[in-house]
Amino acid sequence: MAAVLRLMIPTNESVEPDDRELVRTIRNGDDAAFEQLVRRKTSKVFSLCCRVIGNAEDAKDISQLVFIKLWENLGKYDPAYAFDTWLYRMVTNVAIDFMRNKQSRENAINSNLRLVKTSADAEQSVVIQRKEIENVFHAVSAVLSPKQKTIFVMREMDDLSSSEIARILGCRESTVRNHLFNARKLMQQQLKKRFPEYSRLWKERT
Amino acid sequence: MISCQAFRENLRPGSNDAGVLEHLRKCDACLDWAVKADPDNFFRAIGGEELVPPGGIDAFTDGVMAQVRVRQTEGSVKHRFLIPPRRLAAAAAITATLGIAALVYDRVPKPLPPARPPVAAAARPVALTTKPVVETYQSQNATIVEMPTEGPHDTKVVMIFDDSLPADL
Repeated sequence: MAAVLRLMIPTNESVEPDDRELVRTIRNGDDAAFEQLVRRKTSKVFSLCCRVIGNAEDAKDISQLVFIKLWENLGKYDPAYAFDTWLYRMVTNVAIDFMRNKQSRENAINSNLRLVKTSADAEQSVVIQRKEIENVFHAVSAVLSPKQKTIFVMREMDDLSSSEIARILGCRESTVRNHLFNARKLMQQQLKKRFPEYSRLWKERT
Repeated sequence: MISCQAFRENLRPGSNDAGVLEHLRKCDACLDWAVKADPDNFFRAIGGEELVPPGGIDAFTDGVMAQVRVRQTEGSVKHRFLIPPRRLAAAAAITATLGIAALVYDRVPKPLPPARPPVAAAARPVALTTKPVVETYQSQNATIVEMPTEGPHDTKVVMIFDDSLPADL
């Protein structure tokens, strides 16, 4: 959670100045400082990639690509802005590009994947299987656009605020809220189709 | 971690409270309760913890740094090989400029030299050849003119005009 707070609060006394200091040192040609930055940000970058992409191996490759892009473009970073916001923008751009390419290849396959549940099963009381939630998410989120999925992950799993997401993606906060609304709606439809036992949770509430 | 009671009292739709989210992601009973209260909490159970790439952070960092070094080397090699083509391009540009200039110069109509009087042609040096010496000459068609001399030591010049004589005599 500390990481999230760093993103949301533009303060000079958290870890931010250290990031900026590191960037300054890297710009002066210090490779060791870059290595330190990679170590510091790996978990953050990999976690987002992994949740957006849904595959640890692909997420690892994408994270590596993000850091190489970071190294190549570090000269363009403006220290007036939070480093993490800039880093997140790079992660989302690379991840969204990757998903767009992947989605175009796999759309046909995903549309045929169904977890078959009988209506009798669905009527039984639901015990939420924590381990299964992630698999369910990756299954139903396949219908989302790369941008919708990225926004959903940043909001619901990385706990970023809508305003922070808007800053990262360079769009309006209302756009973020629209994407979130549509993402939830689409995923509910998918849950109903593919995981009726979980979809009952929504029915019970409404 | 906050207690289950505190969690249930503080859970709000779309809450970003760190303690509430931590509890949601760790307590099975409260997750079930939270999803019934607000189904949007279903997927919020994912997340929170930071993940580590397969192989660990050290191996990952080493991989990134190896890639960076490769790119640094590529970059320096590219830089080294970029200079000669630039020089070559500059040399080619200069050569092309000179060539075009020469072509243009050749094609510009030059002013004709002023016509020289025929005297100039006569003034040209003539190659000297040995001619046969004519001691006596007799012909009915010839006209012989003897040039007047200015003294006994002056050269005597005699001009013979005869159409029947060879041209080179």
